[in-house]
Amino acid sequence: MARTPDDDRLDLLQGTLDMLILRTLQWGPQHGHGIGQAIRTQSDDLLKVETGSLYPALQRLVKRGWLKADWGVSRSNQRAKFYRLTPEGKKQLAREESRWSQLVHAIGRIMKPASAPGAEE
Amino acid sequence: MARFPWSKHRLDLDDDDFAEEIRSHLAIAQQEKMADGLGERDARDAARRELGNVTLATEAARAVWTPRWLSAFREIGADIRIGGRSLARHPGYSLAVFAVLTIGIGLNVAVFTMLKSIAFSPLAGVEQASELAVVHGETAAGRAVRLSYPEYRALRDQIQAFDGVMGTVLMKANLGRGRGARQIWGELVTGNYFEVLGIRAALGRALTPADERAPGRDPVAVISDGLWRRDFASDPAIIGRSIEVNNQHLTVVGVAEPGFHGTAVVYDVEVFVPVMMGPALGFTFGSKGPATGLFDEPSAPVFHPYARLRAGASLDAASAEVDTLWTRLRRERPQADATARLRVVPFVRAPGGAPSYAMPTLAVLSVMGLLVLAIACANLSGLALVRGISRRGEIALRLSLGASRRRIVRLLVVENLLLAIPGAMAGTLVAAWGIPMLIGYAQRLSAPLRIHFNSDIDGLVLAFAVAAAAGSVLIFGFLPALQSARVNLVTVINEDASPRSAPRGRLRSGLVIAQVAVSVTLLVVAGLAARSVAAARSADPGFDTRQATAVSFDLKQNAYDEARGRIFQQHLLSAVRADRSVEGAALAVYTPLNMTDTRVDPVSLDAYAARPGEDLAFMWNVVSAEYFRTLRIPVLAGREFESRDDPSAEAVAIVNRTLATRFWGGATNALGRRLRIAGSEWRRVVGVVEDLKYARVDEAPRPYFYVPLTQVYRSSVTLHTRGRGPVDTLVGQARAHVTRIDPDLPILTARSMADSTRGALIFLDLTAMMLFLFGTAGIGLAVIGTYGLVSFSVQQSRHEIGIRMALGATRAAVVRQFVARGLRLGVAGALGGVVCAVAAGRLMDAVLFGISPTDAPSFVRALALVLLSITVASLVPAARAARTSPLSVLRHQ
Repeated sequence: MARTPDDDRLDLLQGTLDMLILRTLQWGPQHGHGIGQAIRTQSDDLLKVETGSLYPALQRLVKRGWLKADWGVSRSNQRAKFYRLTPEGKKQLAREESRWSQLVHAIGRIMKPASAPGAEE
Repeated sequence: MARFPWSKHRLDLDDDDFAEEIRSHLAIAQQEKMADGLGERDARDAARRELGNVTLATEAARAVWTPRWLSAFREIGADIRIGGRSLARHPGYSLAVFAVLTIGIGLNVAVFTMLKSIAFSPLAGVEQASELAVVHGETAAGRAVRLSYPEYRALRDQIQAFDGVMGTVLMKANLGRGRGARQIWGELVTGNYFEVLGIRAALGRALTPADERAPGRDPVAVISDGLWRRDFASDPAIIGRSIEVNNQHLTVVGVAEPGFHGTAVVYDVEVFVPVMMGPALGFTFGSKGPATGLFDEPSAPVFHPYARLRAGASLDAASAEVDTLWTRLRRERPQADATARLRVVPFVRAPGGAPSYAMPTLAVLSVMGLLVLAIACANLSGLALVRGISRRGEIALRLSLGASRRRIVRLLVVENLLLAIPGAMAGTLVAAWGIPMLIGYAQRLSAPLRIHFNSDIDGLVLAFAVAAAAGSVLIFGFLPALQSARVNLVTVINEDASPRSAPRGRLRSGLVIAQVAVSVTLLVVAGLAARSVAAARSADPGFDTRQATAVSFDLKQNAYDEARGRIFQQHLLSAVRADRSVEGAALAVYTPLNMTDTRVDPVSLDAYAARPGEDLAFMWNVVSAEYFRTLRIPVLAGREFESRDDPSAEAVAIVNRTLATRFWGGATNALGRRLRIAGSEWRRVVGVVEDLKYARVDEAPRPYFYVPLTQVYRSSVTLHTRGRGPVDTLVGQARAHVTRIDPDLPILTARSMADSTRGALIFLDLTAMMLFLFGTAGIGLAVIGTYGLVSFSVQQSRHEIGIRMALGATRAAVVRQFVARGLRLGVAGALGGVVCAVAAGRLMDAVLFGISPTDAPSFVRALALVLLSITVASLVPAARAARTSPLSVLRHQ
């Protein structure tokens, strides 16, 4: 099989998708397609969320009480289901962000030990 | 949308909402693509492609909501639906499996029910009856003896391991007086009998220790629910009424709870009387003193006490305690009787009980039942395997659509259970219908006395049926299921799966070998058992049952005392002998071959010094003159009893051949010797007669002796006559002779000797019938199964046959080769079967009569039948395959 440009895209770490979804919704309610597009454009097309992962993830976040979903109408006048953060979801996002920065910091120290202190400044 | 009241989440994905969301996603995506300049159609297709597999996404979203246990539950539900559909599509296969399981499980349920009624739950209505312990004495020679009343009392009061000890002795009792009298089973019981068993009275009260104060003091009785219903039309005013048992008036104080049939397994006991009334009912228990003192006599054997173990106490602990007690009792009164030690045994091993007699036979039947089931399973395994091969396509399709192999195996097992559970239920129904027929047959033979088997289909039996079904599925369904799930996708899809791919071929060969081995074992066991039963049935009982009658009556039932009784007996014999059609007439106390060991008494023998610990105690009979001539029992030496052996003459006895040869070195040597029943006078031996089968046809020869009725009066006797003409007429005539002398004397039984001794064949007949069923079912299954497997494997090799024939092999050569292949498997299986059968035969040795466990004809017949069926099974399909044109076979591939 020939390599496609898609192969350059990055696979999402387990659990990272949930954080990205929460982050995307920080600026206001959005529907599933919009969330997918937002993640893609904001990552300069490096991250592409598969529909097969996105919608189950949305269901998971709703079940945990971090998102709420309501049917509404999109800018292009399409009926769509809009997700928004609940207060509980906002707290979760904060937790995830701090955990993420810790993780990045830790991995950074391992991958570039010499320059790590400098990079921190 | 499912939601449990206690769950804060719904348990399922909102399907419609989710589908709507996906649709909206597509619409928005399509709109954006169109905005980018794509045409409507292209935009829609692109959006679809981007979306990917919606089903998988939906499943993943569903998994978020649905707990694992619920989805597993749903999957099994789906398995049941799919399995049901698949079975319905193949009614032939389904019916075959169902039928085979019905037969296999039905036979096993029947045997298990009998086993239950004898061993696991032998006493209807009694909780944990199988956990009762029985205490019995044992002589140095190992003969079981009853315990005396004082010994019982000591056990009851002093053994800590026992939570309650009661005593009971079975009696044949005459109920009523005059023409309406009949014989029933009764029990003489201690006052705590009902309390220890945990049986209540449905009406009135049960017997209590207050009914056991002194001999003859409490003339009361409890009757069974059955007797109350049959004889007293469920009269609610029965309490306080008087019934007559052995001419003794007893007041009915209670009716036992329904479903209780006493403690004598197989016998239906209808009346329970305090043991202290025993002497008043004519039972002296071998006491030599005055009957009223027998309960103080430490050597008068009364009964085998039954005990409940205290919670936590073991049989061994009880045994140890009983041993200590016995040692102390022996110190207090040295060597009172022949009892050397006491034994505490589980209920099933109660001496003389039906369980101890029936267990070995039931064990053989159980093994045969399991063998039949094993053959059935091997058969079904073969069928499932064949079917598994033919449904490789379906399984491959399921696998390629993403089903896991575990899921496939589960589907196949569920499918098998769908057949096995109804099969088990149908088998139970067959057993539930068949067992009463067997019991009815046994009841007819033992009439007028009633029998009872605790053979209800209860929870225990149902649990066994289900376990048998589940076990069968595991055996017949699991291997082929694993085999099927191992389908190789590529080969199946390319349709070039070789029919003789190695693992399946090995499994099939293994199945053939196993099936042949089990078949040979079953056939040998069935053959041994059948030949043993036949040998027992045709065994010479030692007397001539043809043209002979047996009419029983008890003179006490019409209030004859000894003097009047003697006159009656004398009159009767002269009247019958005066009849010109009668060739011989005699009276006797016991009829031979009546299944029960009659009374045994210790005996001293002239000129024979008993070895230490040797137990000289024999059964004996009281007979009139002409007894041996009437029953055509050969007199080997000396003479029979004659009228001159009256009370004033010398006391005489006649012994049998075994007694004469074992103790006096032969028939002629025995003449003139003397023997003495313990506690009575010496008797001169005036004759030696041939051995008989005294209780059962399959008994070993045993010493036995006779004393004349004229010297030892008995009121309960049987009149034997022999004559010409139809035997029914003879019975009628004999009966008429009795009633002509006393019309009010009840006749207890009146039948031909052939009918009278048929009772001894009941068990053999029942066993023979079961063996026939098992044998037929087993042989049928074995032959069909072997045929099926072998012929299937030949059919699978049609390709090979085609090639061989195309290359010039002759038909005969091909057929020969396949028959040889079949026989190789057959011989391997047969060798295994012979090894198993020899082992099984050794286990059966105890129940075999008259043949050796390595009886050659049984083995030869079994082997011949199995090898013949294998030959035919290979020959027919191979010949058919060889007859088809090689081209058509090859093209078919």
